Amino acid sequence: MMGPLRMIGFYRDHRWTRRHLSDYVDGELGPRGRARVEHHVHLCPDCWRLLATLKRTLAGLMGLRDEVPGDDIADSVIARLRAESET
Amino acid sequence: MSVERPIAIADGDAIDPGWEAFPVTLERRPRLLGRRAVDEDADLVVRAQAGEREAFEELVRRHAEHLYAVVVRLVADRHDAEEITQEAFIRAWRGIARFKGDARFFTWLYRIGINEARRRTARRPLGAVASLEDESVDPPDLRPAPDREAEHSDLRSALERAVRALDPDYRAPLILRDVEGLSTTEAAAIMGLREAAFKSRLHRARLAVRNAVEDYLDEDERA
Repeated sequence: MMGPLRMIGFYRDHRWTRRHLSDYVDGELGPRGRARVEHHVHLCPDCWRLLATLKRTLAGLMGLRDEVPGDDIADSVIARLRAESET
Repeated sequence: MSVERPIAIADGDAIDPGWEAFPVTLERRPRLLGRRAVDEDADLVVRAQAGEREAFEELVRRHAEHLYAVVVRLVADRHDAEEITQEAFIRAWRGIARFKGDARFFTWLYRIGINEARRRTARRPLGAVASLEDESVDPPDLRPAPDREAEHSDLRSALERAVRALDPDYRAPLILRDVEGLSTTEAAAIMGLREAAFKSRLHRARLAVRNAVEDYLDEDERA
């Protein structure tokens, strides 16, 4: 069981980790920040799970990129540009 | 853009039989999403500013599909998205002389498109919109009601719905960064936000979407 000082440190890391998880997965934390997140997620099942599901969510969002066909959009824009130029 | 370079062979190096040294043409690979390096857009912009419509039409061919892909996720339907994309390019063409070049052309163009999408969405909201302004509370639960869960049978559909349920000010950062793959710097510039403000919105949007699709994620998958 954690002593009170360790528990305070744990919850500080918990709040900090949850605020900075996006920075972590984006590779935008420095070495100390990365180490802090990685240390905490090994101790905290909730944050470990949050990190895992966040990564899966981001992977899923990236997969939406190819779902939007817009092959003819350039042609329709150019057609409108030309029509506007003629008026 | 093509660059010709000789193979780096030092004088006196032996060349294996059947081989010969010759200049190699290297294609500069386009960056993410097919956008060219800024120097190529700059040349077309200068020509367009001089009145050359064909140069601007080349810019249209380069950027229309990706701008449409962003806009279509911000508005109610594809017809609106097509109109907004057209309108964005029309505005850009009319205002090209005022473009100073202190930002990249696509940054300026995307900002026009997103602002136009915001105006349309303000007049005709998508529907259920989650506000993420109150930072003292957890991101809202965007999961569908139980009687509609049958309609959301897979992760992709759930993601699409979760993204659409976001407030537009939070949806745009997510789309630019996580769907279209722009960097934080590029996406923040398009939104006209400081990076810290952009990252704050992005983080809350990500958590909201993650909460909405949590049931579809493989909980056993390790990070």
